[in-house]
Amino acid sequence: MKRVVITGAGAVSPLGVDVPAMICGIEAGKSAVRYMDGWDQYIGLRSLVGAPAEIVNEKAIPRSSRRSMGRMSIFSVQAAEQAILDSGIDRGLLTSGRLGCIIGSTMGSAKSINDTFEIMIPHKDLTRLSSMKFFQCISHTAVMNTAQHLGITGYVLATSAACASGLQAIGAGYDLIRLGKQDAVLCGGAEDLHPTVTGSFDILFATSAGYNNEPEKTPRPFDAKRDGLVCGEGSGILLIEEYEHALKRNAKIYAEIIGYHTCGSGVHVSQSNKDSMVACFRQALSDANIQANQVDYINAHATATIHGDKEEAEAIKEVFGDQVPVSSLKGYMGHTLGASGSIELIASLIMMQKECIYPTLNLETVSPECEGIFHVTEKLTKKIDIIVKNCFAFGGINASIVCKKIV
Amino acid sequence: MTEQEIIQLTNQVFEESFEIEKELLKPETNIFEDLGLDSLDVVDLVVALQEKFGVKIRNDERIKNIRSLGDIYNFIFKLKEEH
Repeated sequence: MKRVVITGAGAVSPLGVDVPAMICGIEAGKSAVRYMDGWDQYIGLRSLVGAPAEIVNEKAIPRSSRRSMGRMSIFSVQAAEQAILDSGIDRGLLTSGRLGCIIGSTMGSAKSINDTFEIMIPHKDLTRLSSMKFFQCISHTAVMNTAQHLGITGYVLATSAACASGLQAIGAGYDLIRLGKQDAVLCGGAEDLHPTVTGSFDILFATSAGYNNEPEKTPRPFDAKRDGLVCGEGSGILLIEEYEHALKRNAKIYAEIIGYHTCGSGVHVSQSNKDSMVACFRQALSDANIQANQVDYINAHATATIHGDKEEAEAIKEVFGDQVPVSSLKGYMGHTLGASGSIELIASLIMMQKECIYPTLNLETVSPECEGIFHVTEKLTKKIDIIVKNCFAFGGINASIVCKKIV
Repeated sequence: MTEQEIIQLTNQVFEESFEIEKELLKPETNIFEDLGLDSLDVVDLVVALQEKFGVKIRNDERIKNIRSLGDIYNFIFKLKEEH
């Protein structure tokens, strides 16, 4: 099997248009969560908060490419451009057939899907629909728009596993390179924020509804006063590359991906399941050929739902005990759903570089059922060699990736 | 509707839907070769023209013969005359 390293990163997040803006926001302890104007017109929507990302400079993407892009595709193209620039790869690689593109999302662009049905349904009239709506609504909209825009001729795949989509995309890219099928892969996730997206969680009572008047205080991962997740949007894209390929061009290397696993729980469509999380951790560690006590930091999925945080804390406790620092970034950026795995992995790689761990924002009092693990509540200075990043999704999907600093 | 109004509203469609600069919008301009539109853009052009002029032209065979902006002006003018 070939070795795989991360050599480029780009992100458009609720905290800003690039990776430095995101890190700057996290460093400052800033929350991107705000009250969403106009959402109160939706009958039954209890959660009126969100973490929107700003679309900036989209006209730098030519109209011929941009016309088929909803919000998430604009985010993913911009994040991919950043990752390419950051990696320093020759752009000729994009069209060589040896570079692939894998980007996941929960579904197609939520705003575009909503706009399409708003046009079509009232009069059951298709004649007012733009030809581009289809390309914005399809499940692989982010990857096909990004790959088309960049001229990518290698593997083009879309992972679709709700909140684990982005991490599954990185895992799939890792496998392709390990097997020698591609030399490099642009991979990650993307998502739109829209009241219908928050609504899909809200009707299951999984959203935060008690902080509409003080949005910056939610979500509250692992906290005793947590009351659910807050949806966000954006895209995180990594350029991952075969190790020798990266060495030959003297690339800057963030870390090596040494292990990955994804699995189903086989238990419930919406409720997280500790035992299957444990199985996922153990298999990812086995894939990485390391012991749990070698891990220096766990970037938790922890979205601040009552059940999900409890299950994840218990699973971490069982496998890693109480000596490995754990934090969640959802308090800063909300839950960017399909994009969260890649956006938060990028932030974790920066922590590895800076030798510090950013705390879980809004974690003031650890909830009793989330105790027994090493919660980071203040910025922690620590040498980080190995990190684990988790994502858990509706459908009983678990995913964990293990990355190691190259010295 | 005057010829001038038809030209003005058609040009608006090109500015709003296809981000074409006003200076390029001349009767002799070829919408494919000069403005870079393709077959998918023509679908959207039809949607936008229907909206702008309140007409139904999706199944009108004459659309297939449109090449220039002048062709569109004349097509809309004839449509308005027919109704």
